[in-house]
Amino acid sequence: MNAREFTPEVREALQRLILSLADTKRLLGIRYSDWLLGAPSIESGIATASMSQDEWGHARLLYAMLKDFGVDPVEVEHSRPPAEYCSASCLDEPFADWAGVVAGIVVVDGTLSLALEGFAAGAYDAARRRIPKMLAEEAFHRDFGQAWMRRISEGAEEGRQLLAAAVESMLPDAVTCLLPGDDEAELLAGAGVTVRPADARATLARRLAEPIAALRMEPAADPPLPADWMASRRRPTGEPAGDAVERARGDRNRALFVE
Amino acid sequence: MAELSVGLPLHVASHMSGGRDLWSEPLPGRPDDPEAAVWRALGEVLDPELPVSVTDLGLIYGVRVDGERVEVRLTFTATACPCMEFIEEDVRDRLLAEPWIAAVEIEQVWDPPWTSARISPAGRRALRGAGVSA
Repeated sequence: MNAREFTPEVREALQRLILSLADTKRLLGIRYSDWLLGAPSIESGIATASMSQDEWGHARLLYAMLKDFGVDPVEVEHSRPPAEYCSASCLDEPFADWAGVVAGIVVVDGTLSLALEGFAAGAYDAARRRIPKMLAEEAFHRDFGQAWMRRISEGAEEGRQLLAAAVESMLPDAVTCLLPGDDEAELLAGAGVTVRPADARATLARRLAEPIAALRMEPAADPPLPADWMASRRRPTGEPAGDAVERARGDRNRALFVE
Repeated sequence: MAELSVGLPLHVASHMSGGRDLWSEPLPGRPDDPEAAVWRALGEVLDPELPVSVTDLGLIYGVRVDGERVEVRLTFTATACPCMEFIEEDVRDRLLAEPWIAAVEIEQVWDPPWTSARISPAGRRALRGAGVSA
């Protein structure tokens, strides 16, 4: 189905879903790019360079879907203030250390990919056509993140504790923002655009069971919607740090803009 | 001086974007089979980073000729391919070099996703010659 074939309510919800996925990819790319240098090895830094570029490539394809809704993607990408971003709140600030990067890959990127899988399998044609390529690229992120998670889990206790703390801090936000259990998510699932939030969360719990057990963590409880949930932005209140949004918008390169 | 014993060639076939220095002269007029002529022309457009054509890489998903207007369905090896604009410009320039083509429309497509399985046997030979296995 194309965007015009959905009801106005579904169309609005679909537009918010796309913006949330695109903004999260945009921010995730920035957070990876902070580690091009300073990772535990040069090779790992190179991997974050590739992953950050992938995320921005995916964000560009997702923003371009907004044209179906009469929205100018260039305007959306380059003009919004931080308070209008719909990215997952766990990306508002940079990853504190490499354990944060690894948690970001496995937990945030992994949850985002799961949300995209459901979207690609749904009724919206543009998602069915574009997302499989993104998921093929994401397979490398998953392998890289899981390899690092195994390495840290089997290593020194200090590293394991750092990673466990990073996972614990990101997981509730990632699940809440990327697989929200609100009325709008149910509306999209009912229209066949995505899978039901409860089913997606159950899949995520199965995928994360092994790494969470390796970190000797308790399985995470299903997070409820926070009191400050903003359905219009598919996230709690707050916003990404200003410097990240300046980079996302390309503020310093306005005079050299080529799109 | 001893020759370098690495797998890379000491030179590549073209140093110009899209292989422009190797492009054929434009046809004098409209060919009998315009679609085949478009495919031949696209077969001369090289990837900006490797000496292999966009057709042999499997990036062209379809061609349609409507009068003097050509539609090209084009994909890329990666969603963040740094050469997207170069490739589109090279494709457009090569086709517009033909006097019987007045307009080129390029549609970016991602379905089915590109994989290395789309590289032709000739493309694989060209890549091997450049020290890249595929």
